Amino acid sequence: MLEEKLNLEGKSVVITGGGTGLGREMTLAMARAGADLVIASRRIGPIQEVADMVCDLGRKGVAISTDVTDSAQVNALMEASIAELGKVDVLFNNAGIVRGQGATPIWEISDEDWHLGIDTNMSSAFYCSRAIAKHMVERGSGKIINLSSGFGYRGGRDNYMYCVGKGGIVQLTRTLATSLSRYGITSTCIVPGFIPTEGTDESRLTLPRGEFIPIGRVGHPHEIGAIAVFLASSASDYMNGEAFAIDGGGLAGGYAPTGHAPEIPLTV
Amino acid sequence: MPIPSEWDLTGKKAIITADSRGWTPYLAGALAEAGADVAIAGSESSDMAEAATAVESHGRNAVAIPTDLTDSASVQDMVTAAVEGLGGVDILVNNARAEFGKRFELVTEDEWNRYMDFTLKSVFLTCQAVGSYMLEQGSGHIVNIGSGLSQRGLWNSVAVCAAQGAIHQMTSSLALEWGRQGIRVNGVGAGWVTPEEPSEDDQKELLVRYLPSRRKGHPNDLAALVVYLSSDACDFVTGQTIFIDGGALAHA
Repeated sequence: MLEEKLNLEGKSVVITGGGTGLGREMTLAMARAGADLVIASRRIGPIQEVADMVCDLGRKGVAISTDVTDSAQVNALMEASIAELGKVDVLFNNAGIVRGQGATPIWEISDEDWHLGIDTNMSSAFYCSRAIAKHMVERGSGKIINLSSGFGYRGGRDNYMYCVGKGGIVQLTRTLATSLSRYGITSTCIVPGFIPTEGTDESRLTLPRGEFIPIGRVGHPHEIGAIAVFLASSASDYMNGEAFAIDGGGLAGGYAPTGHAPEIPLTV
Repeated sequence: MPIPSEWDLTGKKAIITADSRGWTPYLAGALAEAGADVAIAGSESSDMAEAATAVESHGRNAVAIPTDLTDSASVQDMVTAAVEGLGGVDILVNNARAEFGKRFELVTEDEWNRYMDFTLKSVFLTCQAVGSYMLEQGSGHIVNIGSGLSQRGLWNSVAVCAAQGAIHQMTSSLALEWGRQGIRVNGVGAGWVTPEEPSEDDQKELLVRYLPSRRKGHPNDLAALVVYLSSDACDFVTGQTIFIDGGALAHA
């Protein structure tokens, strides 16, 4: 049962932002589980490298340079993906932008900054979902997986575009589930906590990061791969509109210093 | 294509609590398929025997331990027997819960106590008894099978929703308390799940048509998640309840 359900052989996946960071880990995990993938991102270098690695795993891997904040390019990406893979079973809206998004007081954020952040973190997922939805409706099946963040649930100080965009991703997930389930399409999202990658702003690494995570350490990028495989596979077919957090306990208790709550004798 | 390594429980020892709803054979069977030996704890009227058969059908060791899950001494004896029978314990799946639906003004004190003891107190007792063993060991995974009723109210379900809300928060809090001692505590929030075969009559039920996925779930819909949450690869996930509910919460 597990073997059959977790097998991604014959599944076609389009993932945005799959060239670096968590996207790269998730792409390779899905390829190891048997998936063929189109990897889309603005810069061709990293996605071509990952596509080659997918091919080395014996799967089809295709890199398509796309600016996911441009809906015309997104439409072309989905057409090209269907042409390359024959169909799209899974859309993985992973592209986002962390760098340069944090620690800006609200009065210093320009319209341009706001639009770049919201377009990359949120609108891109909408454009991709819209562009592939009809294809999935016609096939009567599909999975749309989005990447949110712990900051989609909590406020982050001076972190407007990221928190608002990632919060929007949670609601996009629920709305896609509510709207498209009748056509056999499900939607879920992944909610990573602090998992530093090569794209992580170095200024954040100076924080006493592990100390504020309940289990006492940050995440490793490879740890997210299994969740991508699970959500892309039929093992998660009844999961719909819901989130899967991987955050070392962050959302369970907030990032308050761990171990400092008092012991109080039972008093009635 | 082999099962991904994150679902490999080879050599692991699990305890799962059983009730009379019929989910235990599927969840215990999945743990065994992934390679775990499984102790099943429940009353004589539970689905314990079927669960043991499911485990053995995968060639794994099964130990059925008659247990009163509402009694601390019985739970402690069960854990001792499971450790002896399996050679240790790495995984606890709290699957057992009572079923109960009644208008609140008619619920008797006895019904309230029996419901809470079997559904909620049993989770306290098993987490504490198995957790003490896991703390000494420095590792362990606890999976609490909960419900979307931890998040939403429902008619005739005050006791159920109150208990589920409590289990949800036990999962969060216990994950924090034991997070730095190698123990991971997570939950599976089930929607309307039943081991019964789907029928055409299901589609006539208003509540089924209300679910975005337009079907009831089956325990097998939860199985792969239970296995992943039980595995050592699941180390950065804790304090979470993952809902598998056919879209119920997204919509409701």
